[in-house]
Order: sequence, then C-alpha cells, then structure tokens
Amino acid sequence: MSRRPRCPRAFAPALLFLLLSFSQASAHCFVGPRFFPATLVIDDPCVADEMSLPTVDWFKTGTIPSGSQWDISAEFDKRITEDLGFGISDVWSQIRTPGGPVAVGFGNLETTLQYQLLKDASRETAMLLGLIVDWGGTGNSNAGIATPYTLLTPTYYVGQGLGGLPDALGFARPLAVTAQIGYQIPTTSYIVSQNTFIPQVLVYGASVQYSMPYLKSEVKDLQLPDFFNHLIPIVEMQMFTPVANNLGNPSITTGTINPGVIYIGSYYQIGLEAIIPVNGASGNGVGVLGQLHLYLDDMFPETLGQPLIGGRSTPSAKPL
Amino acid sequence: MRTHIAILSLLLMALGTGTAQAHAFLDHASPLVGSTVQTAPPEVSLSFTQNLEPAFSTVQVTDSSGARVDQGKAQISGSTMRIELKALKPGLYRVRWHALSVDTHTTEGSFTFTVGGS
Repeated sequence: MSRRPRCPRAFAPALLFLLLSFSQASAHCFVGPRFFPATLVIDDPCVADEMSLPTVDWFKTGTIPSGSQWDISAEFDKRITEDLGFGISDVWSQIRTPGGPVAVGFGNLETTLQYQLLKDASRETAMLLGLIVDWGGTGNSNAGIATPYTLLTPTYYVGQGLGGLPDALGFARPLAVTAQIGYQIPTTSYIVSQNTFIPQVLVYGASVQYSMPYLKSEVKDLQLPDFFNHLIPIVEMQMFTPVANNLGNPSITTGTINPGVIYIGSYYQIGLEAIIPVNGASGNGVGVLGQLHLYLDDMFPETLGQPLIGGRSTPSAKPL
Repeated sequence: MRTHIAILSLLLMALGTGTAQAHAFLDHASPLVGSTVQTAPPEVSLSFTQNLEPAFSTVQVTDSSGARVDQGKAQISGSTMRIELKALKPGLYRVRWHALSVDTHTTEGSFTFTVGGS
C-alpha cells in the first residue's frame, strides 16, 4: 500500500510535474529486501524486463555413443503490464557424435506468457503462473534438434526468502529457495512414421541460493572485499519425468544438478554453473554453463524498462 | 533461419538507445550493519549505490520496543541519507529504509545495530 506525501499548496505544481515524470518500478525480481537473481537453468519467480544474451553451455550427451553438444541461446523478456510478462527465446545447437554426422541448427522458438500472482515484501514470497510454448516446426527438426510438434507447458513458479528467520539464525537469513513445476503436453501424441508415442512430461526444478548482498545489507557487514559482496552461490536442479502416453519409451527421469555462482552488478549479472547429469541417460561427465544477463529496466528505465501498458504510475514515500 | 536472425537483430537494435540507471542498493551504513558500538551514535548514515530522490526516500530508527528514536527529518544528498538520533541507551536498534533512486526504481531494507554491547 502506498500513499502520497503531504505538501504545501505552493509546491503542488512542481510536485504534479514530478509525479507525472515518475514511474515507480521494482522490475527485476525484488521482493521487499530480497533480490532473486535470474537463475540459469530454471526461471526466477518474477515478470521482468531482462535479456539473457548469451547463454552458452557445453556437455556430453547421454546417447550411446556419447556426443558433444554446444548450445548458444538468447532470451528476451518484457513486461506487458506490471504483472503480466512475455518472453521469447531460441537456441542454436551443435551436436557432434563419434562416427556420425554433425547436427547443427536452431531449436524451436519458445515463448512464455507469465502472470505475477503474488509479491509479498514482508514475507519475501513471490509466485508466478506461466505458459511456455515451444512452437513446433520453427527449428531444425530434420537434424533432430527441434520437434515438428508443439509443446505446451503450464508452469507454476515460487520463490521464498528466509529473511524472516529469527536473529539467532541470522547467518541463515540470506538463504532463499525458488522452485517451479510444469506439465508438458505435446500437440501430437503419436508419430506414425516413427511408430513413437510422444509422452507428457512433468518438468520440475528448484534452486537454493545464498545472497552475499543480503548478508551485507540486512544481517551483518563483514567488510569483505567488495567483489564477494556481489556474489550469490547457488545450486540449481531441473528434472524431466515422463508421466503419460509413454508406451515403448524408457520410463526414466532425466535431469541435471547445477552448482555455481552468480555475480550481481548494477546493470547485469554473470552466472557460471557446472552441469552434473543425474544419470547416464542425462549426460556423461561434467559440463559447463555460462550466462550474461542484462537488467533492461536498469539499463533503459525510460524505454525498454517500462511495462508496455500502465508503466507511468505514481511514486510514493512508502510508510515504514 | 532468417526469422531467428531477424528477431535477434531487433533485440540488439532495441538495446541501442537509452540512459542507464539502476536500483539503489545499500552500499554501507554507519553504524555498520549488524555491528555493536560502544558509544551511542548521534546519527545513522546510509550510503547507496545510486543517487536518491529525496521526496520519496525515507529512513526510520526504532528501539527494541518499537519506539522511534530518530529525530528531525532525513537529510538526503546524492546517494547518502542521514537521520539524527536521540540519545540512545544501551540496547538493540533497528533501521528501516526505503529508497527511490533517481530513475524511479524502489528498494527497501532493514538492519539492526547494538549500542553498549547488550
């Protein structure tokens, strides 16, 4: 809740100008004192104006024989209103398999529509609903990099900071967890030419993160070198479990665990994580994932950083 | 392929204009966040990573019972916000702040400090 400050009548015109000139924004994922960074593998629980360019990863595939895969991807997210966001992303992949052809090409275009269900500053809680659409036939399906059919994944996202822990557990207060769970539905259930069923898949993931910026500004300033005060050590995981229409396919969960660290700057963040497959079907050995992520609301506060609709709201001196 | 490249080009063009500002993070405070001071400080000073909009940035200091112990109006200059304190007794105090950076991004937070080692 916000309220306008009281002011003498003589200052009213100046204040009116000020009000009309301002748009109060919290944009990327601030929830009270908590900042949820853009995670590399799963999504953070907020709509935002941001861009990941690029995200680069390398790992050895879980096929037999194991191949070597490079992915370079880009993602652009834009708020339509303060609570409604839209995203578009794509990935370019190269897969080298020993003794086999090199598969190269773009994956399907992916769009995401998200609605911010909740941002509770006092509890450091954020919730989001989204629909991810992987548009079939827009990528290189001939090379096996994209699918000829569309995938729809309604997804629920949540983030919870632990800042509400008692002072006796002060050094645990910078901890936060985020999670998401989605149900992936293909628009085709069966490919006749390959005699293959296309399964419906449960897609779920989580992150555990420790915010050094939160430690410094909310709990205790240990007067560490400034570099360390920008770091968020993190462990992410993402899993895929086929749950329906999976006749003839191996019924096995695949996924990765991704320990790493994110450096938070004023206008960008840089993330670096390892890719550890959870089983042989998910990959071989340890891969690597890196990302440069741009905060467009900070870089371009008057243009790209504004919601398309209703972006110029009134600021307020928030009651403490 | 052309569709993919066209979308990427549009995104890069969109990045070509604008002036950069950012959220105001608390850079450091006096007394230090979470610290214990032996002498009661006459004021709390907060330094942020961005310049603040004075009309919409506030700070408040309370004792362990929730009573206000700050006095006067917060003084904001550039990226620094100060507020004077009444004579503090030994005890735990909480500082709550709300900042609006000059590009209208809001941030907020709170921390404690202790006077006299109690």
